[in-house]
Amino acid sequence: MKKYWFVFSLYWQEGLQQRASFFIDRFRSCVTLISFYYLWSALLKNRPSFAGYDYSQMITYVLGMDILRSLVFASRTYEIAGDINHGRLSAYLLKPVNFFVYTFFRDLSEKSINLVSAMMEVIGLTFLFHLKVHWPHDPFTWIWFLAAVGGAIWLNFLLNFMVGCWGFWTAESGGPRFLMELFVEFSAGAFFPLDILSKRLQAALQLLPSPYLVFFPLQIFLEKTTRAQLIDGLLIQLFWMAALSGIVYGVWTRGLSMYGAQGS
Amino acid sequence: MEAMEPPLIEVRGLSKVFKVDQKRPGLRGALKGLFRREFRDVQAVRDVSFQIQAGELVGFLGPNGAGKTTTLKMLSGLLTPTRGEAKVLGHVPWKRERPFQKQLTMVMGQRSQLWWDLPAWDSFLLNKEIYEIPKPQFEETVHELSTLLEIKDLLEVPVKKLSLGQRMKAELACALLHRPRVLLLDEPTIGLDVVMQKKVRDFILAYNHRWKAAILLTSHNMDDVSELCSRAILINHGRLLFDGSLPQLQARFGHDDLTDAMRRAFAAMEKEEPGLAVP
Repeated sequence: MKKYWFVFSLYWQEGLQQRASFFIDRFRSCVTLISFYYLWSALLKNRPSFAGYDYSQMITYVLGMDILRSLVFASRTYEIAGDINHGRLSAYLLKPVNFFVYTFFRDLSEKSINLVSAMMEVIGLTFLFHLKVHWPHDPFTWIWFLAAVGGAIWLNFLLNFMVGCWGFWTAESGGPRFLMELFVEFSAGAFFPLDILSKRLQAALQLLPSPYLVFFPLQIFLEKTTRAQLIDGLLIQLFWMAALSGIVYGVWTRGLSMYGAQGS
Repeated sequence: MEAMEPPLIEVRGLSKVFKVDQKRPGLRGALKGLFRREFRDVQAVRDVSFQIQAGELVGFLGPNGAGKTTTLKMLSGLLTPTRGEAKVLGHVPWKRERPFQKQLTMVMGQRSQLWWDLPAWDSFLLNKEIYEIPKPQFEETVHELSTLLEIKDLLEVPVKKLSLGQRMKAELACALLHRPRVLLLDEPTIGLDVVMQKKVRDFILAYNHRWKAAILLTSHNMDDVSELCSRAILINHGRLLFDGSLPQLQARFGHDDLTDAMRRAFAAMEKEEPGLAVP
């Protein structure tokens, strides 16, 4: 495992070297956070609650969204298709490393860099606007929340890795990936809580893995889930993890057998 | 009597066919390709067989598209052949087993494993972890390689700031930190000036002598071949054309100059003259 932790530290170093793209990325994140803050503040200005969320819960959802975006969605898996198409994958295949684990640690590094910045943004905004955050009453909530976040990170990694493997079949995986990311973020509840949507749409979305990436963990944090909903949610997360693991294994093995190592 | 050691590289009847998609010319062709793509088979390597012993330095030569790099990729485990067998260091390469990977390296002149934004030293440390090189061995090897290649002062400079020649030397050092017993070098002197080419050649020769490594080298540079290789394997259109020593090559194709001898060999192959098949 030591080699993968070294990969983690090298990507940190590289991230600090590429300061311009890092600051632009964080600036975009700040703008999103502040926009959502103003939007929900305006909507809740003259009413006690909206779609079952009081002001403090909604603000907590918005801040939690920012943190979970950096933990769940921050990723460098978009590089996988390029690695395949341009033959950079060869450098990994020649060495005694597991590319899947390597990619996960590359992602962990990206997530941790983003998490540190997101925490600073959230703390800064909380103090700047004197925001009242909803903290869980039950200490066990933290355990369930962290378990759900861990599941969400793994689930999204599997989804992204699977999409990255499209590179074995096409050099044009950028477009479908962009569309998928947009849809996943929407259906994950990374723009707004999913329970403001119609019941029918919510029921349809619940069949997908995406609501378990942001919406479900934040529902746990806000203590809006019953015990049964909590257990169901965690089991569904586990089901998707198992299913996607199988698909990723199949796609990777099949793709690798077709790999032409072009460009290398 | 001393038993003969098995060859480090053993190839028998290796063939590779690629499926290549075809695009018809023009906008019309592009639109048609959007809905129906046509593929054709391209035979990159045909029935290639050879053996390489420990300590041998062999030139693997041929024009562009001859099948050299494809063969190297199969031997390194990057590609699975369509037919045939290969054993490298006693392993089937495309199974990519850890003990095999730990004893092999492949350097591609136009590819880099060094981290662009970071000093080469960081890439060295990463390889130390990946290949699980003990610290004393790592320090000794880095000292030895960086002295031979004259890159001691460059190890802490970000790779993007190095010249092409400096980068190639750092690349070679990085690829050899784990002291591989088999080296597959794909055009290691490409793009380098004559002075740098000479330094890289001297280094490859020194490594070969020091570690008795089996080295298979592709190059279009005849100085690489004449200075380094005791044996040459010629390949064209994926088919083996000649396998023997350099004097044999020159004797067979009747010319004092190595480049001319090779040119004549390939021309003969094009005409499909009889008697050119490898015995």
